[in-house]
Amino acid sequence: MAAGTQCKQYPPTLLSFFIYNPKFGPKEGEEEKKILFYYPNEQEKNEKIRNVGLCEAIVQFTRTFCPTKPAKSLHTQKNRQFFHEPEENFWMVMVVRNPMIEKQSKDGKPVAEYQEDEILDTVYNAVLQQCYSMYKLFNGTFLKAIEMGGVEILKQRLEKFFFRYLQTLHLQHCDLLDVFGGISFFPLDKMTYLKIQSFINQMEESLGLVKYTAFLYNDQLIWSGLEQEDMRTLYKYLTTSLFPRHSESELSGRDPPVRMPISGSLQHYGRFLTGPLNPHDPEAKCRFPKIFVNTNDAYEELHLIVYKAMTAVVCFMTDASIELTKEFCCELDRLVGPQLTMLASDICEQYNISRRIAGPEKEPQFKFIYFNHMNLAEKSTIHMRKTPSLSLTSIAPDLLKILGDINSDFARVDDDEEIIVKAMSDFWVVGKKSDQRELYVILNQKNANLIEVNDEVKKLCATQFSNIFFLD
Amino acid sequence: MEAGSSLSHKSEETEAQGDTVCTEVKEHDAEATNPEDGIREAVAEEAQNDECEGSVCSTEEEVVPDEEKDASSDKELSDSASTDNTLEDSSEFSGRPLVVCEKKELCSPFGADLVSSHREEDVTAESWRMHRKHVFVLSEAGKPIYSRYGNEEALSSTMGVMMALVSFVQSGNNIIHSIYSDDHKVVFLQRGPLVLVSVSRTLQSEIQLHSELLYVYYQIISMLTQASVARIFERKKNYDLRRLLTGSEKILDNLLNLIDSDPSFLLGAVQCLPLSSSLRESLSQILQKATTSNLVFSILIAKNQLVTIVQERTVIDDTRLDPVDLHLLLNLIRASSAFQAGEVWTPICLPRFNPNGYFYAYISYLDPDCTVCLLLLSTDREAFYSISDCKKKIEESMATHNSIQAISSALQSHSYSISLLGVPDLRHFMYKPLDIPENHKQLTQLTSPEVEAPYCSEEEKVRLFDLYRYLHSRIHSTTRPLRLIYHVAEKETLLAWVTRKFELYTCFSPLVTKASAINAITKLLRWIKKEEDRLFIRNPPKYTTASNTSRGSRSSRGGSDRVDSIDNGFLTLL
Repeated sequence: MAAGTQCKQYPPTLLSFFIYNPKFGPKEGEEEKKILFYYPNEQEKNEKIRNVGLCEAIVQFTRTFCPTKPAKSLHTQKNRQFFHEPEENFWMVMVVRNPMIEKQSKDGKPVAEYQEDEILDTVYNAVLQQCYSMYKLFNGTFLKAIEMGGVEILKQRLEKFFFRYLQTLHLQHCDLLDVFGGISFFPLDKMTYLKIQSFINQMEESLGLVKYTAFLYNDQLIWSGLEQEDMRTLYKYLTTSLFPRHSESELSGRDPPVRMPISGSLQHYGRFLTGPLNPHDPEAKCRFPKIFVNTNDAYEELHLIVYKAMTAVVCFMTDASIELTKEFCCELDRLVGPQLTMLASDICEQYNISRRIAGPEKEPQFKFIYFNHMNLAEKSTIHMRKTPSLSLTSIAPDLLKILGDINSDFARVDDDEEIIVKAMSDFWVVGKKSDQRELYVILNQKNANLIEVNDEVKKLCATQFSNIFFLD
Repeated sequence: MEAGSSLSHKSEETEAQGDTVCTEVKEHDAEATNPEDGIREAVAEEAQNDECEGSVCSTEEEVVPDEEKDASSDKELSDSASTDNTLEDSSEFSGRPLVVCEKKELCSPFGADLVSSHREEDVTAESWRMHRKHVFVLSEAGKPIYSRYGNEEALSSTMGVMMALVSFVQSGNNIIHSIYSDDHKVVFLQRGPLVLVSVSRTLQSEIQLHSELLYVYYQIISMLTQASVARIFERKKNYDLRRLLTGSEKILDNLLNLIDSDPSFLLGAVQCLPLSSSLRESLSQILQKATTSNLVFSILIAKNQLVTIVQERTVIDDTRLDPVDLHLLLNLIRASSAFQAGEVWTPICLPRFNPNGYFYAYISYLDPDCTVCLLLLSTDREAFYSISDCKKKIEESMATHNSIQAISSALQSHSYSISLLGVPDLRHFMYKPLDIPENHKQLTQLTSPEVEAPYCSEEEKVRLFDLYRYLHSRIHSTTRPLRLIYHVAEKETLLAWVTRKFELYTCFSPLVTKASAINAITKLLRWIKKEEDRLFIRNPPKYTTASNTSRGSRSSRGGSDRVDSIDNGFLTLL
């Protein structure tokens, strides 16, 4: 038994990540040319070539049985590889080491026990696809990069982007929410919503250059002019990368949020999250990140201006071919700052009123996740906070994986379905799918029976989702 | 006696392996030097096949002590060309001593079937790709051994790729398990020198496909034994195992078809012919009375369903016949129409019992319509005549008891109809009891009614079975097992429930309410309780009457050891 206490648990980790195009080095001896990006770069050249070769072989092999739908993942005892072909002949591969438990054997040597079934394909396939979407948002497509400046340019961009991005993956915290990749919407009354709408119209009118606008409050989306897919990726970037970075620096006091007003303008809390820290500083550089949207047709390159006042954030996107001047930034700060500050406090007030009407919050007997495939709306009471470094969840990881299982069962057919299961831990888990909407509820009522569980979920639907019809 | 000793080694299989192998070789020597072997006479229309005879002779010349052969195996491999024939022949026959009889029996009647079967399919055609489930068996050298659809030769390059993938991953000190695409799952299983691959479009879980491959492996082992397969490939890496399996494709084909339709394989249990307990008891007694030394199992089968099974207590006191082994036996009988010809005597290995030893199976039908089949398993290769005498005794007592007729009338209704239960909305179910007396020593059993409307078409039957497979895979998930699943879908409502006492899978009409489903389950469980003596073999008989010294209880397979705190009052759970 003494040996048993020496257990050490290892979460799933990223072993390697590479991007290749089999058409780039078709001749023998030129295999290295296929590789466009490889992490870890220190990997020995022949090893890289071998691993790429295996992926090619796996993809080719599965084409024998279905030419149009090749392999998406390879399961081995020690790791799992995920394949994604986002653009024709461009393959992205992510290799994840299976979680494992290291046990001390009798002779004192550590023995690794791999937990192969602990990671869900759907989750990590989604993570890999997210990698591409995020790359594309900031760099455009692979093909475009090659058209512009050849393979070398593409390689440089991949290197620059993924070097940093891969460190933010945090594979052990990925779950069903990554599969949905949803957007959390801020609930709002009509009046306030119209106020925001009119604010956006006014700003787009006054600032002239703006092509698209998005408005968020409290990390939740209120309005977006972008296509849904682009907004999904931008939302992910804002909420998991840009906002947390800034709130961390605010907390550490490096960046005082309140600036003294320049003479003539009202006092406000507005500031840029991208671009110049202080546009009125003569040394300030007005450089904004570029993003690429509508890559399937219009292929637009835009400047991303993110401007924040209190917990309200507005994103303006302008044509990248027009350079943004210091004057423009000052004008934006002067126009948007005071109005956004006002708007933010209005929203806050409204929100507090509606909360008071709803009555004091009781600790509910259940937790739930809701997702709507049509508008990507997502709501979770399971995740308390999602930061880039960790997601805090209030339930056991096993239960969260059962949600993942139910989700992949739902994905098999288009029909409406309901699945109720009782886990070994006696928790009840209910999944409902109705007309593109999915709801997952976890009930902590171990002694409840099926009928009681059913009643409990009915009550939840009546209070939270009264306008949605779910199968009974 | 030698065969008996190989049996007694079963607990220490690995150490005993060498011994067993030697035993077999010696046995074979004996056979080779004695062409007037009784076994041969026993087989109807026995005519010496030229090829066989030639091989037998060459074996005799080739026989050298095993150790010596092993020592020189490297050399043999390096200049394989010159030693090709002798090597193959010797391993062929030392590995499977009595294959001659079986081969003749099995081979000829299938010849015609094989031509018309899937073997001739064009492997580049879309129709080949569209098969729901492919199964391939190959050797470590990448040589094709079996393919469910299409000719192995035509598939040799595909199988070569499979082997390349397996060994590539292996070279990284890792093991390949599976490949997933949107439509397919490819599952790999390596056992000794054999590699088995399943390419499936079904929604089955990897574990289920894996266990099916294991069945295929066991069926091969049941014909050759594990030790001899290992030995063959040790001596010659690129040996073509199809030489030893000629005529057996049909057995594997049939096995795979059964796996895709018979719940016994999914649940790892055996379905009995529903029979009044008094009739079953009288049949058991008939079997019990007809014994001879070295007879270890007497099994009575009617239309592929188990009627009764009697086992020798002294040999197999603290083990039970594994359902897997029984499935393999039933499949062998089912797949081989040739057995209907007369009395068959064939060596057979029960891989779960002992993968390295042979039993000798006596198979004979007891009625002209070939519905009732008697299977006697002996450990003695020479016991054909005494076993055949047992059969005569059994036949006589069954005639006086009019047993055949009784069984036939029970067979009138293949299984039973769900309407018999009078439970509205319940369309179908599968029930596996885990609370039979001395469960750990008994054959795991199941009961399930006939599949009826609306699951009439082949397509709908497959769909229903797929739903059961899905329930089974989720409730028995290795990492996230569940106690209960209630699934409401467009076409039906499903409920699966596992407790310490049973496993139950039910299918209701889609409009059933939760309350009425629970009501139906209560009724169903009551009905099963009432009928359990008819549906299950409750107390399997033994030959000897010596008092049973029960040893430490073994936990049975199939998740029955789960702890369920509230299963005694199932109504509270539902």
